[in-house]
Amino acid sequence: MHKNLSHEEITPPEYSFYLGCVIPNRYPFVEQATRNVLNELGVRLKDMQGASCCPAPGVFRSFDIPTWLAIGARNIAIAEENNADLVTMCNGCYGTLIDVDHQLKTDEKKRTFVNNHLVKIDKKFKGSIKVKHLAEVLYMDLGMDKIRDSVTRLLGGLKCAVHYGCHLTKPSAIRPWGGETEDPRFFDELVEVIGCESTDYKDKHMCCGAGGGVRSAIKEVSLDFTRHKLEMMREAGAECIVVMCPFCMLQLDLGQIEVNSIFKDEISAPFAIPVFYYTQLLGLAMGMHPNDLGLVKHHNLKGVPPFVDQEPILSRIFKELGYDYKQLQKQSVKTES
Amino acid sequence: MEEDLKIGVYLCHCGVNIAGVIDMDELEEFTKTLPNVNLVRQYKFMCSDTGQSMIKDDIKEGLVNRVVVAACSPRMHEPTFRRAIESAGMNKFLFSQANIREHSSWISMKDKEGASRIAKDHIRMQVAKVSKLESLQPQKVKVTPNALVIGGGIAGINAALDLAEQNFHVYLVEKTATIGGHMAQLDKTFPTMDCSACILTPKMVDVNQHENITLMAYSEVDNVEGYVGNFKVTVRQKARYVDTEKCTGCGNCAEECPVTVPNEFDLGLSLRKAAYLPFPQAVPGYYTIDMDHCIKCGICADPSVCEPDAIRYDDKDKFVKLDIGTIIVATGFDPFDPTALKEYGYEKYDNVITSMQMERLLSSYGPTLGKPVRPSDLTAPHSIAFIQCVGSRDFHPGRGHKYCSRVCCMYAMKQARQYMEKHPDAKIYIFYMDIRAFGKGYEEFYEIASREYGIMFIRGRLSEVYEDPKDKGIWLRGEDTLLQVPVEIKVDMVVLSVGIEARDDSDKIASLLSIQKTEDGFFMEAHPKLRPVDTLTDGIFIAGVSQGPKDIPDAVAQAKGAASSAAALMAKGEVEIEPYFAVIDEAICTGCKACNSMCPFGAITFDKISGISVINPAKCKGCGTCVAACPFGAIAQNHFKEEQLDVIIRSVLKEGGVY
Repeated sequence: MHKNLSHEEITPPEYSFYLGCVIPNRYPFVEQATRNVLNELGVRLKDMQGASCCPAPGVFRSFDIPTWLAIGARNIAIAEENNADLVTMCNGCYGTLIDVDHQLKTDEKKRTFVNNHLVKIDKKFKGSIKVKHLAEVLYMDLGMDKIRDSVTRLLGGLKCAVHYGCHLTKPSAIRPWGGETEDPRFFDELVEVIGCESTDYKDKHMCCGAGGGVRSAIKEVSLDFTRHKLEMMREAGAECIVVMCPFCMLQLDLGQIEVNSIFKDEISAPFAIPVFYYTQLLGLAMGMHPNDLGLVKHHNLKGVPPFVDQEPILSRIFKELGYDYKQLQKQSVKTES
Repeated sequence: MEEDLKIGVYLCHCGVNIAGVIDMDELEEFTKTLPNVNLVRQYKFMCSDTGQSMIKDDIKEGLVNRVVVAACSPRMHEPTFRRAIESAGMNKFLFSQANIREHSSWISMKDKEGASRIAKDHIRMQVAKVSKLESLQPQKVKVTPNALVIGGGIAGINAALDLAEQNFHVYLVEKTATIGGHMAQLDKTFPTMDCSACILTPKMVDVNQHENITLMAYSEVDNVEGYVGNFKVTVRQKARYVDTEKCTGCGNCAEECPVTVPNEFDLGLSLRKAAYLPFPQAVPGYYTIDMDHCIKCGICADPSVCEPDAIRYDDKDKFVKLDIGTIIVATGFDPFDPTALKEYGYEKYDNVITSMQMERLLSSYGPTLGKPVRPSDLTAPHSIAFIQCVGSRDFHPGRGHKYCSRVCCMYAMKQARQYMEKHPDAKIYIFYMDIRAFGKGYEEFYEIASREYGIMFIRGRLSEVYEDPKDKGIWLRGEDTLLQVPVEIKVDMVVLSVGIEARDDSDKIASLLSIQKTEDGFFMEAHPKLRPVDTLTDGIFIAGVSQGPKDIPDAVAQAKGAASSAAALMAKGEVEIEPYFAVIDEAICTGCKACNSMCPFGAITFDKISGISVINPAKCKGCGTCVAACPFGAIAQNHFKEEQLDVIIRSVLKEGGVY
């Protein structure tokens, strides 16, 4: 059968949109921002019916590999039914799903084992799609030219501490970044293209502290990592932190409140560096409305993310873009009532 | 009329190398069952005098007229056994060697049954082959008493001088504008701390002045044809844009030249002009114009600048043809480029330099006249860390080489000691994996470095370095694996002890000369122990670091060895070459000329008078291409004739062998 090439050209790129756990439960506005931004960039997202926890690499892969493989394979199988590559916004989900995908594609024994279980629920791992991180979709599939073209306003040299997170670049052999782990640049480029400055800071590629089940198991050790990272970011003069992983986001956001209390005698001053997910800032640079990007927090909301107050920095950026933070906050109250 | 075949098969135990795996008595019983085998003997070491005598005696007594030795690789001892057979009055080409060591007992050491089956197949094949072999007469060719030495570093210089002293004419071809190689860039040499220039430059002058040496600097070997004793070499003399007959080396052109570029001799730490002499003691002492950067402003060509009128903007590359008997390859090495090892921050941080740069900083004719400074602020560092094994001893792909570069421990200690002699209060750290101080006087040098100089040796490979943005100092992070504690220290400057790697053009040299390389990229010697300066191509020898990492004493020793081997060939004046050339059967050849263009060596011509093609045995290398190309099967290659190969295959297929 001949393929209709002209038809293919106009078909928008499609992805199975994998949400994971942390975003729906803690940072739902990150999903909103990402959906809107990808939509604006001409990407069609297919929901994954019945998708579960990835499952988390630190707490599953470290303890029970067969279970981890089977659950991961089930999620990938759902994306295969969608007939579209899987995209995830989370480094942890990425770490699990790309590893499961790689292992099952290269090891027939494991594939047979997993499929023997999946057949009981009418599912099958075929190995027909790829697992991708949102960063790969933006940087490689859509490409920097497309992102650059879609940017309509620059964010005035905002000093960002970019945090890559561990699973995004390692292990390098099954990552798309050409073996680069010591000094990758793609995230910095994505941040620079929207008019921000990527501030170099010491131990940029150090773990946020949350991964590997450490946050769940020994919180103080995990927060000590976070404390060190935050100190390095502050020393380098970063005005905000930009992430592409909700778990890193949680650790660097909620973590600041925790560090301020647990390590209050060791730090020179309490931390208050706002944390953004990349698509929130990208959307802003693409001319999208702050309300569509989850950037305005209801003034009455306490104890929910984002934990570090974003108002001071957003007020400044909004002013340059012609918005008034307070006014937007009132509008959002009105919409809700 | 065929004579009666009387095949003698000699089974070698090779100590326990073969007999420890294979049941030799059983092998003997099997061998006796093979067709035309007249006698089978075993011996512990067939290559020994006693072993050889067994074969000779059997030949003399008329017991055998074909010989098969089942032992090691023919690469090892075929010449040995052939000599023995010849001395007993038999044609030495009626011999075949079955390799039951490398191809059998060694590779199947753990599977004795399998090893035995493979050994039987090898013997079966060689017995079949030897029954079809024919007597041949080796060819003798003259050896031209001219040597070509490729590379003018310390190894090439020594090889050239040794040969020249024995009255052979030497063409020394050097790629860059001067001879001296990497040694010319060094300040002092371990462990005796002789000044490198003081011991090297007189040798460079000797080369230039020796009546038996033609120095061809700024030249490259362009093409090599021919064979041992009779190489036809084309050398490309690159245009210097300076008339070397007229240039007096006054240096006016460089003084007036307006173009500055980074000086590669100082690894970019200083600038030179487009008209340049690499360093003051360069040999030959002519200036060169670097046309990649020259803007042809004409200033240097002005008679008031160049009084002897030596500037030639229209100079062109010249091709010189040489008749050469033997070739010595001494092309040296490249220092490892650490840019790819990003955790060390080379080229990212100002104050991270390589050991070659440090060597130039220490050199009295370097960019700082021997007073090392750190690049960021040109002050003398109070603390320096040396990081060992950069690009060496790393099994991770893309991170350098698996081998030890053999000189870095010593030069790091040497540089550290030199710096402390200038700055006794400096703090010096050396981060190492193991200290390898193996040469004569090296361990003593190490002891003094740690005891008397107080250099701090920390065993551990650094995980990363980063810059303190305030003062451009460098933080080092790693583990002291002896104390088992993490270390984090700050120093003013870091020196990366970069390893040695094969030159980036070594592939080109290897294919030009048809010599092999080992897995590590260096040129391969014919035997790692007994033929360390020979290659598998007769008449071509290797010396210095092009064969593998080594220090100056070892490079010089190997150069002298290579010169001695080359001299032995040339002194004899003639050499035997194997008569494995192809022969055309005039009765079958139709003169279709299909083979003429196929021959890679131009050995086949078409004879118009007889209307058939003719092969010149002296030019033929026995590659067999024409044999395969002939549509009529009119060409046969000596010692590899169709029936000689066919019988091998049949012998093993018929018996359902392992293969």
